[in-house]
Amino acid sequence: MTKTLSHIVLALIVFIWVVPFVALVSTSMRSEVAAKTSGFWTSFTPTELGHRFATHERGVMEPAVIMRGNILERINSEASGYAVSGDVKSILIKTRIADPENPGKTKLVRKLVPAGEVMDVRGGAFVFETNGDFTWTFDQATAPKPKNLDVFINQDPAFGADAYIEVLFDNKNVPNALISSFIVTIPATIIPITIAAFAAYAFAWMQFPGRDWLFVIVVSLMVVPTQLAFLPILQGFSGIASWATALNQWLTDCELTDSCQVASKSFASLWITHTAFGLPLAIYLLRNYIVGLPKELLQSARIDGASHLQIFTRIIVPLSVPALASFSIFQFLWVWNDLIVALYIGPNNSSDLVFPIRLQKQLGTFKDQLHLLNASAVISMIVPVVVFLSMQRYFIRGLLAGSVKGG
Amino acid sequence: MRALSPIIASNGFAIFLTIVFLLPITAIFAFVVTTPLDDAMANLGLWMHAQWQWSFPEFDTQERFAKMGFALRSVVIAVGISFFYFGITNWLNASLARVRCKNSLGRQSNIVEAIQPWIFVGPTLVLLLLFLLVPALSTLSLSFQEYDGTPSVRNYAFLWDPDSLGYLQFRLAMRNSLMWLILVPSTCIIFGLLIAVLADSVSWGVVAKTFIFVPLAISFVGAAVIWRNIFAGGGIEPLETLNGMTPSYQIGLLKSLLGHTAEYNEPLYSLKFWGNFFLMWILVWVQTGFAMVIFSAALRGVPEDTIEAAKIDGANPFQMFFRVKLPQIYSTVLVVWTTLVVLVLKVFDIPYALSANDDDKLLLATMMENARNNWSIGGDNVDNLYASIAVMLMLTVVPNMVFNGWRIRREQKELGN
Repeated sequence: MTKTLSHIVLALIVFIWVVPFVALVSTSMRSEVAAKTSGFWTSFTPTELGHRFATHERGVMEPAVIMRGNILERINSEASGYAVSGDVKSILIKTRIADPENPGKTKLVRKLVPAGEVMDVRGGAFVFETNGDFTWTFDQATAPKPKNLDVFINQDPAFGADAYIEVLFDNKNVPNALISSFIVTIPATIIPITIAAFAAYAFAWMQFPGRDWLFVIVVSLMVVPTQLAFLPILQGFSGIASWATALNQWLTDCELTDSCQVASKSFASLWITHTAFGLPLAIYLLRNYIVGLPKELLQSARIDGASHLQIFTRIIVPLSVPALASFSIFQFLWVWNDLIVALYIGPNNSSDLVFPIRLQKQLGTFKDQLHLLNASAVISMIVPVVVFLSMQRYFIRGLLAGSVKGG
Repeated sequence: MRALSPIIASNGFAIFLTIVFLLPITAIFAFVVTTPLDDAMANLGLWMHAQWQWSFPEFDTQERFAKMGFALRSVVIAVGISFFYFGITNWLNASLARVRCKNSLGRQSNIVEAIQPWIFVGPTLVLLLLFLLVPALSTLSLSFQEYDGTPSVRNYAFLWDPDSLGYLQFRLAMRNSLMWLILVPSTCIIFGLLIAVLADSVSWGVVAKTFIFVPLAISFVGAAVIWRNIFAGGGIEPLETLNGMTPSYQIGLLKSLLGHTAEYNEPLYSLKFWGNFFLMWILVWVQTGFAMVIFSAALRGVPEDTIEAAKIDGANPFQMFFRVKLPQIYSTVLVVWTTLVVLVLKVFDIPYALSANDDDKLLLATMMENARNNWSIGGDNVDNLYASIAVMLMLTVVPNMVFNGWRIRREQKELGN
């Protein structure tokens, strides 16, 4: 009884957690029309969707009394990918009817015409069937101009990778964001881990005045909200940038090309800032790990005449791989997913934006192209999720060791 | 015998000076020297472009490959510089000691030993000083100043004085922060405990836990995009507005379940007041995995004999959990609570990404952003006001800091160091 209940409750919770992912992936794989006109949950069953098609191509028509064609073929010949199939339900046409309010005048109304019913299109009788075949009959042989018609089709499910191809190849922003994110993330992970490993070793196994106090201060910086530091850091970087600009002016002939200005918000400033913000947690995790290593190792190495640098590189680093891994995955995820530091301190020219900022902008620009928005979000998540799942063990170990950093 | 300390001090100072000048120069030099790599990469890109007939413009290829070149060399240089630092300082340390005390190996090693720890912790201390400690203090002093530097408490008055313009927003931000602070951690903890307990009792528990866990890897902006599919929507009418003649579409799942038609376009997270709860839910969805993992491990650490004893006494599963297991992992619950509290206080990305920045959904962090970008009412004091809100944010974290400090001190004692 309790057993069944736990299965049900757990399944329900997992369901709630997974549905958003289903929404994300299914929306990203639908066509634009489908994604913006129907909910993702309808993508697995036939759904009535609106399309627009032209009856024929411009300038190829011989005069004829009867024109024949197929609506689905016409739609598929124009759109790329996502073959449209299904039952054609109705066509929306604009037609004039007598206006009940103003006798003697007509007014324009929109009307849905179901399959099999005759409608007047450019003076001809237009009839279509559920399978999409249409006939367009005129009194005498004519070569009508193509007519765009809005049609509703009970469309079979169709998934494709078009949105991914579009954001990755036709759109400059997503590839740029991807590269920028890598530029920011890799050094911002490796630098703090190098610096922190040395410091952690010193805090664990070296003697120097004020060691314990410094350690407590370093670790308690873990909870300082980063927002507190942004403005002064920004001021500092713009000070450095104006110095660099002056130096540039003095040293080079940049004035000729008008390229003296050194940007204060750059990748380098992001690396340093992320490094500083990541250090307290890194030192906390690594120091606790290194303290736990057997002390005899150190002592025997010292007796053999090894220097601290040798001990560190030959003994400590190889033994600390699990702790190093668990911090590096933390820092990687943290930097990759960070929005606020990049927003304040990172480069702000369009081609150098990191992924979270780009995604945040796309929430506005792709408001009506939800397939692209979701595809872009999927791309932004692939890297961290793969890293995360493949190094899950280390991540959990890190969480358990020092579940204190909030960012 | 001369005293060692002047030698140590002067050696240390020499090393410090060398580093201060050498590192930036090396970095800039390395960047300048490797610049041709960008062009080389761009050419490689053009070659590949011609080879495979890529569809996008040639210029894009060129730009993108040049950027990859920059990425490549910046990664190598940035990493190289940090290794270079440790290499060069150690070499300097050893050789300076050798020069200063030619005859005594013992004195040499004493000097090296005294300077070495500072070489190891030096970068850390400098970075933390320059990027956390000093900025935090200068923000504090900024918050007690007018824009021209004269001391004043006007920024705080602006937030706390009921007659002032910032009071309403600040009060709402505090109210909302308090709601977030209570609801998000407690919901995460309840779900986390529930999942940890349930997953242990079913065979597919590991799979279930993985699903709950994955959102932790996702950015808050990504989570916002994900939940937009559920909470937003409205549905754009196909091609033209149809006056109700065709089915009206609703693309937000929850909105659809609530029976909102397509004409009713407002996302659920934009609702007045109630929108807060939908934003909170996104954070809960992300962070529950964290609580779950910690609780899962803690529950496994509950001593077997207490569970056995409870079984013998005939405890049912609920008693087992509430009377036996929960009291034993109480301190873990507290740790998770404080961690989540710190996270919640700083939450910024989710409301910012979803543009949920109306007054009734303000949080301290989003209010700071508002203060910086949109406030004209603060006059010239914009940065100073920003600083004062940041200080208020800091104050809300203090109790957690104290608790964490106490916990870490205790933990260090347990580690015996």
